[in-house]
Amino acid sequence: MRKLFAALALAAFAANPYAQETIKIGVITDRVGVSKPYSEPATEGIAFGVDELNRKGGILGRKIELLIEDDQSRPDISAALARKLIDQGAVFILSMSLTPATQQQQTVTMEAKTPQMTPMNSGDTLTTQLQNPYFWQTGPLGSIQIATLLAHARSKSLKRVALITDNSDLGQLLGRFFKAGLEKSGIQVVAEEVVPRGATTAAPQMQKIRAASPDAMFMAGVLTAENVLIFKAYRELGLKLPIHSSYNLSVPIYMTVAKGLINGVTFVDAYDPEKPEVKAFEAAYRKATGKEPFNLHGYGYDGINMVAEAIRRAGSTDKEKIREAMQGLTYSGVMGAKGMKYSFPEGKRAGYDPNGMVVRVYEGDKQGKVVHVGQK
Amino acid sequence: MQDFFELSLSAAASGCIYGLVALAYLLMIRPTGIINFAVGEWAMLGAFGGFLLLTKFEWPYPVGMAVVVALMLAVGWGTERLAVRPLMEKRAPLLAPILALLGMLVIFREAISVSFPPDPHPVPYAFEIQHQKYFIIAVSALVFAGFWFFFEKTLWGRSFEAVSLNRRAAALMGINLSRVTALSFAGGAGAAGLAGLLVSPNVSAHYLMGVPLAIQGFTALVIGGVGRVEGALLGGMLLAFAEQLTTRYAPIPSGYAQGVPLLFLMIFLLVRPTGLLRARAA
Amino acid sequence: MRLAAWLGAFAVLAALPFFLGSYHNDVYRKLLLWITLALGYNFLFGICGQVAFSHFAFYGIGAYSVVILLFQVGLPLPLAITLGVVICVALALAVAIPATRLEGFYLALVTLALAQLFIVVLNEGGAVTGGTGGIAGYRLPAVFGWRIAGPAYTVVIVFLMLATLALLLRLDGSWFGRACRAVRDNPEAAAAMGVDVARTKVIVFTLTSALAGVAGMVYAFVDNTVNPPIFGLDNAFLILFMVIVGGAGRHAGAVIGAILLFLLPFWLSPLVGHHHQLVFGLFVLAAILFQPKGLIGLWDRFSR
Repeated sequence: MRKLFAALALAAFAANPYAQETIKIGVITDRVGVSKPYSEPATEGIAFGVDELNRKGGILGRKIELLIEDDQSRPDISAALARKLIDQGAVFILSMSLTPATQQQQTVTMEAKTPQMTPMNSGDTLTTQLQNPYFWQTGPLGSIQIATLLAHARSKSLKRVALITDNSDLGQLLGRFFKAGLEKSGIQVVAEEVVPRGATTAAPQMQKIRAASPDAMFMAGVLTAENVLIFKAYRELGLKLPIHSSYNLSVPIYMTVAKGLINGVTFVDAYDPEKPEVKAFEAAYRKATGKEPFNLHGYGYDGINMVAEAIRRAGSTDKEKIREAMQGLTYSGVMGAKGMKYSFPEGKRAGYDPNGMVVRVYEGDKQGKVVHVGQK
Repeated sequence: MQDFFELSLSAAASGCIYGLVALAYLLMIRPTGIINFAVGEWAMLGAFGGFLLLTKFEWPYPVGMAVVVALMLAVGWGTERLAVRPLMEKRAPLLAPILALLGMLVIFREAISVSFPPDPHPVPYAFEIQHQKYFIIAVSALVFAGFWFFFEKTLWGRSFEAVSLNRRAAALMGINLSRVTALSFAGGAGAAGLAGLLVSPNVSAHYLMGVPLAIQGFTALVIGGVGRVEGALLGGMLLAFAEQLTTRYAPIPSGYAQGVPLLFLMIFLLVRPTGLLRARAA
Repeated sequence: MRLAAWLGAFAVLAALPFFLGSYHNDVYRKLLLWITLALGYNFLFGICGQVAFSHFAFYGIGAYSVVILLFQVGLPLPLAITLGVVICVALALAVAIPATRLEGFYLALVTLALAQLFIVVLNEGGAVTGGTGGIAGYRLPAVFGWRIAGPAYTVVIVFLMLATLALLLRLDGSWFGRACRAVRDNPEAAAAMGVDVARTKVIVFTLTSALAGVAGMVYAFVDNTVNPPIFGLDNAFLILFMVIVGGAGRHAGAVIGAILLFLLPFWLSPLVGHHHQLVFGLFVLAAILFQPKGLIGLWDRFSR
């Protein structure tokens, strides 16, 4: 009787093509902490991407299995979770949480020789602080953001500008790179202000900026509530300077929470709504989930598709082969300006094309068209 | 010079917010000795209440505001019943209710976090954006005046004072301790919720807004002293002015400017630990 | 506890990492460190009655000190460790001596301000502290030519935890421990009985902060990264939770509280998804309502 059972089981197993082992891809995201507003939509983009891939048969004939962990934006937990995913057999880890968390995970992936990628962190130091050949970053770097903003603002002949950011780690990092980029272009930063998390007003900082009479104001902050404080103080103090912002302003929440305050603000973005790939992505997402996607979903979607492509080209789930495939990958996805490709030339591991960002303007309360592309 | 005047107005408004949170702490500390750090989360609830009733359901401002305050009074009363009274009845050490309230802090915050999308939510102004500061100051003045009157002139207020001075003696004189405690929590929640509602048109309602407000309110309380209601307002004002004037005028890089109120506080504590205003002698 | 019992405990705890996978080893190490921190904090808060929020900041000061001294200044390991301890002691004294004039929640506030100031200094520290990104990519230098890593390093952490426990137990049982409890329960009476209240407070604060600093130094080589978010304020509250939920004033309570509250999110997360924090809050509330003196009370009831 037992032999018959075993034979039947084996037959059933062999007959089912999907009984093959899945390809496990780990995702470390934040479901409860400070990164949640960004991590949540981006991870939803990944989940959508995986569904799409699995419907088309998966990779190398095997289904993708997503192992999702929540690091609560706590970097020490992040590292432990990376180890957990590796122990569970993940061949690739996608880091969807804070920049310092991604950093922590790198010490683990470097030691365990496991490929890791962040499709949305923009901190420049992620690929330079540690020489980790298993780590790639395809989020738009802070240095690219400021260069693109400046290329657009070049026509306005800026000489003295103000820089304002917040005291989050990413805000400080972007602020540093923005300042460096500005000074490299020969522009003088006459006021540098910080709005701390939990502030009830940005009036003193904006007053200081007003007193310095700059030609324009650059925003490098990433905390939504604090950015809104800046806009409100700007309005209350009757300021009229042009505002140029980091990619943080591209998140659609500003259209509701900063209503009436952002007309004319320019910001860099990695999302061109007129791009055919974007239109197709939005339509497919809408159809599959009934919800409206925005740029954050796109980061996750591109991320998982690049990972899938790398595995496909490697032809196996051997981590070394995947690493080689990823390093040599050129990919064109949803994010970026028309025709942009991600690539990692000359052994670099930051893959966002330096000319791939676009500058957009808020028209009224709506995110307007692209007004500038790249760094030219 | 015009800068200074504008800044003073802004600092006064922020000072009122800190003062209201400090008042919330004070209302609960005085009769019971319990420090309730959940006041920050109560402010958050007030802000979200404002978002729901005023932005989403678009109720008229006065109605929405009144309902939010009423709901917060109920929340305060409920918190006391659930997390404090059982412990007081078991004669638990004072630490226990403080920790239970910290547990409630997490519960409030997470309840909001799972019920709403994670982004900040807009709350409308009472009038125009420029007038919000005056509105905050006016409402706070009314609230503080009301409480001052309550404590100084009414019989109930006097019984509060009696409980603060000596719980046992007050009970012996027939004052209903548990009612005083319940009322103090209700009042604290009302003050905190009001602070949240008033500040949220500027900072937006989001689930992480509680902890910074709790810390700032606590700092204001320590500066002003726990003894008198006016102390809370004074402490709030001093803290807000110190923060904003330093940011605006101090010739140090702005990253360090955040540290200045902290240093100011530490020095203050070493020089005058009981706060600026002492309680009235019995 | 007798020597045999200590050696036995050490043997069991130290052997464990060699049987665990890399993930469980990592969780185990961090758990041991949190237990160490909770034990120290329990002595400061539960036994001596001092409310302070700087415990975790000293953990960070220890970690950053040893990393900066080793890799930015280039000192040899023994000197770096010694100097790191000296820094923690000096800072603790600088805070404790003036703070003995304050009581109750005023000390809490000063230490809260210190903890926040620490983060501001880290962020603004430029090249010295690595600023917002912190310092990464270093390794524990070889000791006598031997590289301690992996499960062997966990043994070091086991040793740290047991040594801390032994020290605190010894102190608790001595005259000093009784003085601390007297200061906690009734400072005036303690003074009347000849206890130098101010000196006791200073010693306890400095000692426990230095212990936290040493734990921090050990931590620096667990993830081989130090950055400001790791040492943020939320963790200061978590230690308080651990000690109170477990049972303030009891060493076993600190251990139970640390184990429970550290591991709880790991257990809850796969079960409850993103509601795990909510469940955590409910758990803490329920624990306190059920056992206001701490969960150690349950153990007491069972062992009777």
